[in-house]
Amino acid sequence: MSAFSFPRLALVARKELLDLLRDRKSIFMALFGVAISGPLVVCLLYFVGQSIQGRLEKTTAPIVNAQFAPDLVRFMERRGLKVDADPADYEARVRNGELDAVLVVDPTYAEALANGRPAKITLVTLSSRERSAPIAGRLAGEVREYAAMIGSERLILRGVAPAVARPIQTEELDLSTPEQRSARFLQMMSFYALFAGLMGAIAAALDVTAGERERQTLEPLLTTPVTIGELAIGKWLAVSVVNLLAVTASMLGFLISLQLVPLGKLGLPFNFGAREFGGFMAVLIPFALMVPAVLLAFGAAGKTAKEAQSSLSIGVSLVGLLPLISWLRQTKAPWWDTWVPVNGQFAVLSKVLRDETIPALEWGAMWGVPAVICVIALVVFARRLGDERMLAGR
Amino acid sequence: MINVQGLSKQFTVRERAAFFALKAKTRVVNAVDDVSFMANDGEVTGLLGPNGAGKTTTLRMLSTLLTPDRGHATIDGANLTTERATVRQRLGVLGDAKGLYWRLTARENIVYFGRLQGLSESDAQKRADALIDELGLHDLAERPTQGFSQGERMKVAIARALVHNPQTVLLDEPTNGLDIMSTRAMREMIRGLKARGKCVLFSSHIMQEVAALCDRIVIINKGRVIFSGTPQEVLNETGLANLEDAFVQLIGSEEGLFA
Repeated sequence: MSAFSFPRLALVARKELLDLLRDRKSIFMALFGVAISGPLVVCLLYFVGQSIQGRLEKTTAPIVNAQFAPDLVRFMERRGLKVDADPADYEARVRNGELDAVLVVDPTYAEALANGRPAKITLVTLSSRERSAPIAGRLAGEVREYAAMIGSERLILRGVAPAVARPIQTEELDLSTPEQRSARFLQMMSFYALFAGLMGAIAAALDVTAGERERQTLEPLLTTPVTIGELAIGKWLAVSVVNLLAVTASMLGFLISLQLVPLGKLGLPFNFGAREFGGFMAVLIPFALMVPAVLLAFGAAGKTAKEAQSSLSIGVSLVGLLPLISWLRQTKAPWWDTWVPVNGQFAVLSKVLRDETIPALEWGAMWGVPAVICVIALVVFARRLGDERMLAGR
Repeated sequence: MINVQGLSKQFTVRERAAFFALKAKTRVVNAVDDVSFMANDGEVTGLLGPNGAGKTTTLRMLSTLLTPDRGHATIDGANLTTERATVRQRLGVLGDAKGLYWRLTARENIVYFGRLQGLSESDAQKRADALIDELGLHDLAERPTQGFSQGERMKVAIARALVHNPQTVLLDEPTNGLDIMSTRAMREMIRGLKARGKCVLFSSHIMQEVAALCDRIVIINKGRVIFSGTPQEVLNETGLANLEDAFVQLIGSEEGLFA
């Protein structure tokens, strides 16, 4: 076997990149897809935020049997809620989403209230429907306020200080900064950033592995002095360049759209400037170099293009599913969290968004873990490329 | 010059009786079994045999794609297994897989292989020019190879294999799927290589082609060499008047010809 040659490596990388970039349709679709996803997410957030705010501002309070509780109705109206008395067929309308929540005044309400027994009001809503939750919460809150007001008045009438009935006062001290609160909302941005680092590589990785088999070009290539190592690294470099382009496009998409869309107006003082951009790129560059190596190792597994494709989809779903660990976990992150590839990247990206300081050790994980995985994946890729059982027709 | 001594290659094939069968039987196939022959410079040697005889496996071993299980071979004195780099430089291979890069132009395909063979950019371009000339590829040279016809693709693949001006040329069924004009052009090319003192080894299952071109014939069947010599010697050996009948008699059945 001839010795490793850097000029030949450069030759392979240059040819593979040229070949990939010539496939204008696929390249355009991949880059356009990831570049547009940022602005789309931001705009979506803007409109969702706006509509939640708008709906909370002009919430109507549907009250069944409103005639039994005229005081409650007046209270609600003073608080800026438009009362919709006795909505027809309310259970069905809550179920189909026309109404978010309905207050049902019990027929015994007036009598119970007059006699000092607990009067009953039922809140009818659908807890499985997320968008109804803030409105149901607001209605329940108003009723609690009203009840507390009556309670205080009763105590005052009896010459008792209202404070007697409130032995403990709870207060909340929220340590999160406004950036942190909105960053929770925008955590999906971290997800989309990682997504870009994956999507950019899929088509390219498929092309240089399965495509090479399909076109039957590997065999002629292997009869030249080029070594398997040069081929593997050259292909990896070419796919990585395409992937880095995709990541950069995606980040620029976010950067530009967040400058243009006034999320601040919605109480989301969300900062994505040069510092965050730099932080994101520092995490995403090693990630964007690792993903192609992994995908190539999976993609080279099949004897046919189809086998390669299905093998590659295992790699894709692995990368796609790991951030869910972080996303869905309810407990504090364990120490190894940042050392799990993809999941760790997701965690650190979220920290960048929340403006937290990231310890040097975590930066070490961001570069060290991808480097190790990259080397392993490239070795696997090279061995699979050079496996003589994988030659066309065998 | 090619010198092959007792080359052998086995493949293990795993077979399952049914899709859900737990045990897979492994069967060993002797694809090439103790094959020996010589191919000299300035001669065209034909590797002849029915489909599945082991022609492609033999050529794959000679082009360093497969490692022989037993035996050894030299290309211009360079050992196949221990001096792979030299062997690869000495060889021009048109293998079983003749794929091109679709999105690269014919010229880019040729030049890329020239560069991989160690030519400088300008030398590779010059060689590509010469081959484009020789093969009549002028109108196609700057077009991506995607829409090329079978014959046009074959020409580009040939140019790619010859770009570094190799002394020894291996061709695996070079006229397969070509029309009459392209087949004639290919024969001319092979004669041209011979005239320049190259060693050409090509495999085929088409008698007329072998008769028209070859100085020596190596007939293999089921992985073994069953005859080696000049076309005249084949006829003398069998006492028959034409090569096709001789071939059928030598391999002992007609089935291969129609496979």
